[in-house]
Amino acid sequence: MNERGHAAVPAGTGLRTAHSERPAGGGTTTHADGGDTKDGGVEAARRPTGSSDSADPVKALLHRHRDLCERAVDPLEIAARLEAHGMNDRAAARFRHRDVFSLAEELYARVPRADEAWTPERGAADPPGAHAGWAVLALLPVVLCTATVAGTHLTEGRPRLATAAVGAAAVLLGVRASLRRGPLRAPAGPRGGTHVWTCWLLGYALCGDGVLSSALVGGPDGPRTPATAPVLALTLACAPALWCAGLLAAHARRGLAASRSLKEFAGSVRPLLLGLVAVWLCALIALLALCGAVLHQPAAYVGAGSLGALLLLARFLTVHGRTRVSSAALGVAGAAEATALATVLAGRLPGCSFLVVPVESAVDLWGPGVVPGLACGPAALVLLIQATRTLTRASAHASPPRSP
Amino acid sequence: MRIGLLTEGGYPYVSGEAGLWCDHLVRGLGQHEFDVYALSRSERQEDEGWTPLPPQVTRVRTAPLWTAVDDGVVHGRRTRRRFAEAYGELVTAVCAGGPLAWPGPLNRAPAEEGTDEAIEADRFGNALHALAELARDEGGLVGALRSEAAVRTLERACRAPGALRAAGVARVPDLLTVTAHLERLLRPLSLDWYGADGLGSVDLCHAAAGGPAALPGLLARRLSGIPLLVTEYGAHLRAHYLEGAGNTPVRALLASFHGRLTAEVYRQAACVTAGDAHIRRWQERCGTDRAGIRTVHPGVTASRTDDGTESGECADHADPYTVVGVGLTEAAGDLTPLPHAFEEIRRSEPRARLRIVGAPAGGPDSVCSGRHGEHGDGGEDGEDAAEARTAAGAVVVLPGVVEGFPFDLVEAMYRGRATVSTDVGAVAEVVGDAGLVVPPCDHRALAEACVALLRDPGRRARLGAAARVRALELFTVERNVAAFHDIYLEIISRFPVRRPVADEAGEPLPFGVPAEAHLPWRWTQQLSPPLLGGPRWAVGTPSGATRPVWAAAAGQTPALRGTGEATR
Repeated sequence: MNERGHAAVPAGTGLRTAHSERPAGGGTTTHADGGDTKDGGVEAARRPTGSSDSADPVKALLHRHRDLCERAVDPLEIAARLEAHGMNDRAAARFRHRDVFSLAEELYARVPRADEAWTPERGAADPPGAHAGWAVLALLPVVLCTATVAGTHLTEGRPRLATAAVGAAAVLLGVRASLRRGPLRAPAGPRGGTHVWTCWLLGYALCGDGVLSSALVGGPDGPRTPATAPVLALTLACAPALWCAGLLAAHARRGLAASRSLKEFAGSVRPLLLGLVAVWLCALIALLALCGAVLHQPAAYVGAGSLGALLLLARFLTVHGRTRVSSAALGVAGAAEATALATVLAGRLPGCSFLVVPVESAVDLWGPGVVPGLACGPAALVLLIQATRTLTRASAHASPPRSP
Repeated sequence: MRIGLLTEGGYPYVSGEAGLWCDHLVRGLGQHEFDVYALSRSERQEDEGWTPLPPQVTRVRTAPLWTAVDDGVVHGRRTRRRFAEAYGELVTAVCAGGPLAWPGPLNRAPAEEGTDEAIEADRFGNALHALAELARDEGGLVGALRSEAAVRTLERACRAPGALRAAGVARVPDLLTVTAHLERLLRPLSLDWYGADGLGSVDLCHAAAGGPAALPGLLARRLSGIPLLVTEYGAHLRAHYLEGAGNTPVRALLASFHGRLTAEVYRQAACVTAGDAHIRRWQERCGTDRAGIRTVHPGVTASRTDDGTESGECADHADPYTVVGVGLTEAAGDLTPLPHAFEEIRRSEPRARLRIVGAPAGGPDSVCSGRHGEHGDGGEDGEDAAEARTAAGAVVVLPGVVEGFPFDLVEAMYRGRATVSTDVGAVAEVVGDAGLVVPPCDHRALAEACVALLRDPGRRARLGAAARVRALELFTVERNVAAFHDIYLEIISRFPVRRPVADEAGEPLPFGVPAEAHLPWRWTQQLSPPLLGGPRWAVGTPSGATRPVWAAAAGQTPALRGTGEATR
């Protein structure tokens, strides 16, 4: 590390003349010739430590700044911190170095790097804006739904309609409120028609089956009672959805802190994601059965189940930033349902009766619930594959960086 | 000459740091045009507004550094591969570590082309420019820098053999943090400043600081050949090291990035100026070519401290037994010399008193135990009160370590006071032989110096006069502005930007773009000469040229046209 050669001359040499006034009593400085030491010439950076006049002077410095040297990543960092403590080139000459940089290099080389325990970054807690009570707020739609159903059961006629309308509005607001906060909070930004398609799909789940089956036999005869059981079950299933999402987020955060590589992280998140989706589907099916029994309506497992899976996965992807994919999938499912209805209605036109054939044969085989099932099912499957790729990435779960 | 001033979190924002010298520069060079390209650091800074701008600042373009909106461009497969290559090169250069300066801190001859050292030195710069070109061609760089592919590339580079040891133990959150920081630092690459109507139209880029502020200048140099001048009044790399926080892998990688960026900026700059020798040493260590460094001291306004009286009178008004301590607001860490030293001073000179200007970082009690000296109420007073207190003392002491340039010391020198200061940073260069300089952390030497000055009024007067002369010679704003003007002309003459101006026939017009073509008025307007400052007899419009008499022989009368046009 002995660096010879023309020393780096500070530009201030010309300003600092030979007769700079120094206090006569200051005996701590050993360099009597002041700033002229650095002019030209070759000087050894370091004498061997076996010299007799003094012990290793760097050792005292090493002890004083041990902490700093162990944490440093670079000799330049040691040099910067030494200068902040008041070291300069003349003081470095006391340690037999040409300047602070070479002294810092020696310190860096002599102190072994401390392997400090890895600590998670401060502030890597919940992302900002997460409402603390979202777990409790998830129960709000459940409560409102139960109240609405009870209200409609207990009233008759006009008050019944009014109660149903008010209850539906309240439930809608409750669902919005619970989704606004918590782990299913979507980032602000253009949504690309997600809302429109969601409303269409829910509307189809409400009355589409009835319209389709009556259109197949000769045309809608009049207003029919809407099939409220699937929609009710879906609303009640918001709470488990929120809890599943919260569980996923918490596990992902823990996994981020604990995993050493991206592949390891993905491997830890993937089974949990698939498991949570499966558990939620089971919960939805159970709720469908419950609602069907309570409201005395046939429970459309296939249609409502696939719709539920589609909505859940679309929401997951939207929350993590993939809005285009989710809105595209919702749009495709909605368009498929609309096409099915349109073909049935268009089959009445003269010469277009062949349009009715596919839908009619499918409905005859499996019932009217096959249409939403076939529309939403493949879309949900695609979204599931996409979610397995996207949500297992570390960058999807990174908390937003604090502004430096 | 049109100069593009590049700042980051500085001028023209009100709360910008180091905005004062930019303001002096812009106002002092009224014959040039300035375009200011400013990056803001936080939303609050943008909301606070700008300082009032002089008319020679023709344009100000700002961009936020604290946010970046993804422009929604989705990359195709080829673009993704191009991005992966460029970003991979960048992070490989960052993770590889190694000394900053090829050819090393002693400034040996630059590496020959084609050797390993030269390739390493070019790798970072080429990767930066590849990313910039990608941003210009395709856009969507912000989204790509935040994507999983970027994190995966970083992970691969960290685990590669030959990477930094600290990078090899990086975990997933560290990788995410580093990716986020890199995305923030590379935001200037996505700006639209580099077109022909932006930075492509200036003659010279002047970066007000090193590091990220000079990044647009780097790109302008590569794209349009605009020469770059970098001015540093604080070593950027040193500031980065001092504020480093976080885990070791994060700090190591970011320090490596900043170091490489700084070295690349210094390599590409036509000229680098340092505020003092202290910063100059850092610049040389990071690989600047020594021939391209100039030292330009910052200018301290003399008008504020110039009270028009002789320095001798000032000294007479001062209390001969008062010692004034300055520079304590910025003193980092070591405040202990002053109370110990003052105890020693009191022991030798019981009548001595200590006054403190400005609130010390740890409160007034951290400096004085309260028993000995009365310390002046170092509150948040205005400048006048601080000046009055500085003027009230006979000896001005600068204890402790001051980060950056010691402005308080220069102001004391303007006032003609004898100074005693500790030898840290740029202090010895500023004071020279016009004051006493003591070794740091030595309170006995400090006390002895103060006592010696307190007892000898003649020496005080001599040192004070020498200090004032020195300050007026070296640290005035005019000198600073004149130095920059000379540097501008030198750079423009050595690295002219070729913009051929064509006349009506389409031929290149010689001297079409001279260096100082900007006149302070619009010369195409019909202004009468007295308004232009010309002679009074040229009041009327100039008459057309008369034909010579011999041309009249051809049968035409010499036409004396009364009305002429002021042709150019």
